[in-house]
Amino acid sequence: MNKIIDFKHKMAAHCETGTLTSLLNHDGIEISESLVFGIANGIFFGYIESSNFPFPTIIVRSRPGQIRENIIKRLNVKFEKYKFKNIEKGEAKLDELIDKGIPTAVQVDFFYMDYMPDWQRVHINIHFIIIIGKKENKYIISDSYYSTITELDKIMMRKARWAGGYMAPKGFLYYSKNAPKTLDLTKPIIKGIKKACWSMLNIPIPFVGIKGIYKFAEKVKEWPSLARDTEHLSGEIMKINIFLEDQGTGGGGFRYMYATFLQQASNILQNSDLKDMSKRMMENGDEWRNISYFVAKIGKNRDLGADRLEELSLMIRKRGDEEKAFFNDLRKMV
Amino acid sequence: MKEKELFVDFKSHQAIYYVEKEDNSYEPIISGSQLSHDYLDDFYYKKNNLEGELREKIINNEISPIYYYMLLQEIGIGDLASRVGVSKRILKKHFKPDYFNKLSLHTLKKYATIFNVNITSFLQLIKDE
Repeated sequence: MNKIIDFKHKMAAHCETGTLTSLLNHDGIEISESLVFGIANGIFFGYIESSNFPFPTIIVRSRPGQIRENIIKRLNVKFEKYKFKNIEKGEAKLDELIDKGIPTAVQVDFFYMDYMPDWQRVHINIHFIIIIGKKENKYIISDSYYSTITELDKIMMRKARWAGGYMAPKGFLYYSKNAPKTLDLTKPIIKGIKKACWSMLNIPIPFVGIKGIYKFAEKVKEWPSLARDTEHLSGEIMKINIFLEDQGTGGGGFRYMYATFLQQASNILQNSDLKDMSKRMMENGDEWRNISYFVAKIGKNRDLGADRLEELSLMIRKRGDEEKAFFNDLRKMV
Repeated sequence: MKEKELFVDFKSHQAIYYVEKEDNSYEPIISGSQLSHDYLDDFYYKKNNLEGELREKIINNEISPIYYYMLLQEIGIGDLASRVGVSKRILKKHFKPDYFNKLSLHTLKKYATIFNVNITSFLQLIKDE
């Protein structure tokens, strides 16, 4: 089968919001990635210790899939979704959708995206791309992390869609169906803001939201005892930078994207208070970015003594203080 | 973050960043990654050293190629065990050369698929002994 769907490829900060936004845009809905992120209350924080990860890690956005589910509920859009135990059926369904001219999002293990530079490719089962065609044994792909339309061999796609393990994709695919022509964003924006405040302030789990930021501030001081050696510790400390800046956040651990959402929300809701909050969130993003610079510097210099980690801990703790005050103020405004 | 403070010229790794434009509006722009631009040499320095250390451990019969690839590809033990379909306890046995040498071809193929390497890569690592 040879088929390429006419599709406008667009880079995005984050794969899940980027994929959703591109599919909605393709269906004629004018909405930005930052609005999708804010409406779906994507902003988050979590400090995770699990054998599914090689080292303790942080997450700065909500659970994978939740952004899509929240967009479905709040914007009243419809996506058809499928998972497949049987690989042949999963491949046949994807081919059938492409043949019908329907751009289709699939969940993959990012490691197998061999068009990306090797230093970026890690085993993570929660990457989303859009399949927009097939040419002989290659799928044509719109990946929001890649600057142009690209392609992936069928064998690699199979490995990526049916990688097992933590959050296994199980051939998951989805596509937009019967998108409404116009959207009223007022209620979805308010709902998204309220839920973001709740997620950051009130989830009764000790390692998520503001509590997660404080936990991270404390636990990072223990990292030397968890690392194999200084080189390993250096790599893990520098990964904080990757998680905040490079791994699809738009910079500042999604805080810059959330500031952009609040600015747009302020215009749509005609609420000047939200404009002030967007500035405050931008400044908060700058401080998270300073943490990124700091970890990159101390990691590169192997300057990882107790004093330095204490300094890092204090910087993170201050973000907890600021975000606690921020989300308490924000929820009073909607 | 102001737009002029961000821009990094690095074509090999470009990404979207949200910035404050001169007119105070917040917008996404494409820029090179500062981390990749400034620290890629350090990343490869560490990775090459780790690879060398792990190869030596294989030569000294301390670890198996499974452990080698797990560390280099940074997969968590729980995640890898689940991908292979064994318990963490069994997986840890596969890290030991004695157990690795007894693995079935079927199990080795599973590992080769996960690590995206040819099955002969395992044998090549051991042959380097």
